[in-house]
Amino acid sequence: MTHNVQAATVSVDLPLISNQEVWMNISLIKQYHENMPLAQAHDIAIAALQRLGLEHIAFKRNPSLNNEERFGVMLLRAVMVRDAIVIIDRPFKIIPHLNKINFFLDTLKKIEDFYINCHIYDYKWMEERYGELCP
Amino acid sequence: MSFIEKIGYFAISLAKSFTDIFFFAGIILRRMLRRKTYSSAMRTVLVNQIYFTSVQILPVFLVVSIIFGSLLIGIVFQLLKGLGLTEFFGNVLMGLIVTELSPFFTVLLITLRSGSAINTEIAVMKVNGEIKTLETFRIDVIDYLLVPRVINGVASLVLLSSLFSVVLMFSGILFSNIIFGIGIDAYTNILLNSANFSDIVIALLKCAIFGFFATVIPIRSGLSASNELTSIPIAVSGGMVNVFTAIMIIEVLSLITKLF
Repeated sequence: MTHNVQAATVSVDLPLISNQEVWMNISLIKQYHENMPLAQAHDIAIAALQRLGLEHIAFKRNPSLNNEERFGVMLLRAVMVRDAIVIIDRPFKIIPHLNKINFFLDTLKKIEDFYINCHIYDYKWMEERYGELCP
Repeated sequence: MSFIEKIGYFAISLAKSFTDIFFFAGIILRRMLRRKTYSSAMRTVLVNQIYFTSVQILPVFLVVSIIFGSLLIGIVFQLLKGLGLTEFFGNVLMGLIVTELSPFFTVLLITLRSGSAINTEIAVMKVNGEIKTLETFRIDVIDYLLVPRVINGVASLVLLSSLFSVVLMFSGILFSNIIFGIGIDAYTNILLNSANFSDIVIALLKCAIFGFFATVIPIRSGLSASNELTSIPIAVSGGMVNVFTAIMIIEVLSLITKLF
C-alpha cells in the first residue's frame, strides 16, 4: 500500500494544544489519522519522547515546558504524521536564545528514521546561525 | 438612528443570530450521526468530557440535589396538605417537579459550570492559534473538538436530570411519610399511577435539547472570538446570555407542548 507524502510543520505559529498533556499532543496525530487505539498511541508517544530523552515531560502541559522541550514535542508531533516531510519554520523563533543550528540538527538526527525529509525555512538575515548549512 | 430603525436593526441581528445558531446546530447534528466522526481521538475527548462534566460534578450535584430537592418536596407537600389537595401529590410530584423542575435545575447547573468553561476554552484555543494548529494537521475541528462536547452535553443533561429526579423521589418517601403518613408501598403506588409515559418522554427529550443547545451555543460563541485576547470576555458573556435565552425559549416551548 502506498501513502501520499505529507507536510508536517513545526512552527511557533502552530502551538501545542494547551489543555492536553505532552504525550496526548503527540499521540493525537496517530489516533486521529490512523484511528489508532489510545493505549497503542500512548506507547508510541512515550517511546518517541524517550528517543529525545524527554520522557520526564510526558505528563506536563505546554506552559510548563522550556523552549528546547517545546521544540522537541512539536517535532515529535510533526513526525507522527505518516510519511512526513517535516517543515521547520523559523526554528530560532521557537528557541530564541540559541546562536547555532547544531541543537536542531542533533535533535533531528536522533529521530531521522521517523520522517522522509526535513526542510528548514528562515529569513536570509539569519543565515549566520546556520553555519555550513548556508554556504 | 430613529426608534423604528433601531427596532429593525435589532430584529435583523436577532434573526441573523438565530439563523447562524440553527445552521451551526445542523452541521453538528449531521456530524453526530456520521459514523466516521467517532474516531479513536474523538472517543478519548468524549470520555474526558463526560468525566469533567458529569463525574467531577457528582458530589456537589448530589449534595445540592438532596438539600434543594428535599426542601422543595417538603414545602410542596406541606402546601398541598394545607390546601386539602393531598390526593394530588403524586401528580404534582411527577407532572411538575420531576418532569419540569429537574431538567431546568440541571441545565442551569450544567450551563453555569460547563457551558461557561466550554465557551472560554474554545475562545482561548481560537486566540492561541490552537484551532489553526488542528486544521494544519488535518484534524477536523468539528469532529474532534466540538462533537464530543455536544454529545457530552446531551448525555450529561439526561443522566444528571434523571439522578435529580431519583433524589427527589427518594426525598418524597421521607416527606410523604412525615407529612401525610403514607408508607413506601402506597407512595410507590401513587407515583406509578401518576406517571405519564408521554410526560417522561417529553422531559427526556427536553433534557437532550437543553444539553444540545447548552453546549452548541457556547461553542459557537467561543469560535466567534477574534485573534485578540480582549475578544475572549466578549465571546463568553455573549455566549452565556444566548444560552440563557435559549433555555427560556425551550422551557416555554415545552410548556406549550404540555398545554396541548
